[in-house]
Amino acid sequence: MTETAAPLVLIVDDDEAMRRSMAFLFASVGLACESFPTADAFLEAFSSGREVRPGALILDVRMPGTSGLELQRILAERGFPLPILIVTGHGDVPMAVTALKAGAHDFIEKPFKEQYLLDMVEGAIRLSRERLAKVERRRTVAERLTRLGKREREVLDGILAGKPNKVVAYELDLSIKTIEAYRASVMTKMEAGSLAELARMMAEAE
Amino acid sequence: MRPLILPALVVTLALASSSALADDVRIGVLAFQGSERAAQDFEPTILHLSNGLPAHRFAMVPLDLAGIAHAVETRAIDFVVTNPGDYVDLEQRFGITRLATLETRERAAPTDTIGSVVVVPRRPGRATRLGDLAGRRLAVVSEQAFGGWRVILREMDDVGFAPKNLGGLVETGFPMENVLAALREGRADAGVLRACVLEDAVAAGRAGADEFDVVAERKVAGFPCRLSSRLYPDWPFARLAGTSPDLAKAVTASLLSMAPVDGRAWTAPQDYTSVHALFRQLKIGPYEYLGRTTVVGFLRAHWHWFLAGGLAISWWIVHVARVETLVRRRTAELTREIQERAKAELEARRHREERDQFSRLGILGEMASNIAHELNQPLAAITNYAEGLTRFIDAGRADPAFLRDGARGIAGQAERAAAIIRRIRAFVRRREAVRAEVDLDEVVRETLALFEGLAARRGIPLRVFLAGDLPKVTADRVEIEQVLLNLLQNAVDAMVDHEGRERGITVRTSHDGSSVKVAVRDHGPGLTAEAEAHLFDTFFTTKPQGLGLGLSICRTIVESHGGRLWAADNDDGGLTMRFTLPVATPEAT
Repeated sequence: MTETAAPLVLIVDDDEAMRRSMAFLFASVGLACESFPTADAFLEAFSSGREVRPGALILDVRMPGTSGLELQRILAERGFPLPILIVTGHGDVPMAVTALKAGAHDFIEKPFKEQYLLDMVEGAIRLSRERLAKVERRRTVAERLTRLGKREREVLDGILAGKPNKVVAYELDLSIKTIEAYRASVMTKMEAGSLAELARMMAEAE
Repeated sequence: MRPLILPALVVTLALASSSALADDVRIGVLAFQGSERAAQDFEPTILHLSNGLPAHRFAMVPLDLAGIAHAVETRAIDFVVTNPGDYVDLEQRFGITRLATLETRERAAPTDTIGSVVVVPRRPGRATRLGDLAGRRLAVVSEQAFGGWRVILREMDDVGFAPKNLGGLVETGFPMENVLAALREGRADAGVLRACVLEDAVAAGRAGADEFDVVAERKVAGFPCRLSSRLYPDWPFARLAGTSPDLAKAVTASLLSMAPVDGRAWTAPQDYTSVHALFRQLKIGPYEYLGRTTVVGFLRAHWHWFLAGGLAISWWIVHVARVETLVRRRTAELTREIQERAKAELEARRHREERDQFSRLGILGEMASNIAHELNQPLAAITNYAEGLTRFIDAGRADPAFLRDGARGIAGQAERAAAIIRRIRAFVRRREAVRAEVDLDEVVRETLALFEGLAARRGIPLRVFLAGDLPKVTADRVEIEQVLLNLLQNAVDAMVDHEGRERGITVRTSHDGSSVKVAVRDHGPGLTAEAEAHLFDTFFTTKPQGLGLGLSICRTIVESHGGRLWAADNDDGGLTMRFTLPVATPEAT
């Protein structure tokens, strides 16, 4: 499961010294780290369905080529799950605001307090785990839903709409017995112990 | 004589009115003893002329001195007969010319000259020299008389005897023998007579041969009478300047052929120079101005000359004073101007340096956020390393390899920060211009080191093509760096919000043997017409925060290096700024 995997901090910065010193800092707290000199290098590495480990993406907003904001936009389109921490230079508040509006997790103004960065990264990792778990669960529900036949799916929709069996039986023009059989089958295939669990599962998957 | 003036004028006017008659010949005669006496003296001459020259009607016009002068001036008469003194006056003033001189043939030897004699009654202690007349009363026929007074006056002047030393001057009036009467009557101690008057009186029995003695007697060979003076020519018969020469000739011939009447005849004209000399010496007649209390008289006669001269001198003095003042003032002004100019130059240089520094600070201001970023990078990196090290140590994981990594990282980044600060300080510091031979490629490289980061962060690629074989130029490295930075900064500013940014900035160096050229090419929007017109104007800017100093200073710098800075739009968009610097010559180094 990805959400339980060892976290990995991703860094995109054109300044090699920044990349290396941040890697050194993360190593000192036992965090693994992978860095990229440009946005394009990063996109290339993650375009081929590479598994995403929990962690955070630290993104320098000012870079040659594709800028930090541009990369952020592309990643949002692709539903990239990791929180993005925008690193800005002094006085780049407008850019930071733009980044936040575009869904960045937070921004850090250089020069920053390391503890602040580490706290921020830690928070991001936690959030990333939740997000990854959620993604995982959604993927599981979706996978289970594929096991259902057409009638089973219709019965499930009826149950989720809160309709009694006899209403569903009437609407589907089936006997109540048949409905009850389908219902048991849905509960088994969806691996739900109770109606409440099934409802929570489906709500999460929405 | 005064009463004569009016009748004389009337006569003159009458003559003037009748002057239309061509064959009327008018002869003006000085009637100093009255017109009757004049008529008596000269009527025979007129008669003789009328008889000799029947084609003309000769008329005598008796006139006083003023009348004669007026008649001559207005040409109311054709000929004039007057005393020698008056003659030289008229000769001087109106150019009359003598034709004949009066001759007296009453005596044994005829004489055409006039002299004077000073007589005193023969008694003991009588005066023998003119100087002896001091304090004595002197009888004269008239103060105006020529032979009767003025001739003697000159002799007195010759011996340094002033008339004011006389006991008094007694005017007896005509006839001249009245003088002898005055002596006899004791009204005077001495008397002046025309020469020969005494002899005539003695001859006529009107005076005793031993009755009178002569003072300061002198002998003149061939002169029949006793004398106290030198001799002067007798009255002349003169023609006016305008009288016809033919008539004058005929009249002269007639005069010389005239038989003596009452002892009067005409002879060849005498030399009147001596009369002039007398008048000049006595400062009377035409030389009267010499006698008038000289300064006033002279001034009055020649006031216009004096005025002109005075004006000229005043003008000259004023001019000299003015020139002097002007020169002094100009010199002072010049000195002041030179000082002011020196001061202004110093000021200008100081201003230029300040302005340059100001502009460098201005560029620095524009670059401030970039510089902050530039410095933040190593600082942030250092902090990361230091914090990382602390955590390694705190965790007890003192792995030497890790620690060395961190320490090296810190050292490297600290050096990087220091290098940035050094570059900025060198750029901003106020400094004297230092010219040295430099390789422009190297200057470009160094400038780009300061600039690269900025362009990169703006996402603007820099392409650099260095010639590699540039000849050296004599230049101030920092100033040229400043120019380059300005051009690069402008290029970035032009492209930052423009779709051409991916195409970046191209920096190219080249040379053509005599000069080295640097071109900075951008792919921004190029120049508007307005921007092109004012590109190099001080305080012209298109940037909201711009000072409008950059390019004007760049041009000043480049031109002070003997180079040129210009802008040209590219065919495919954007702008290229180029500047040249002359290649250093061996003499220049």
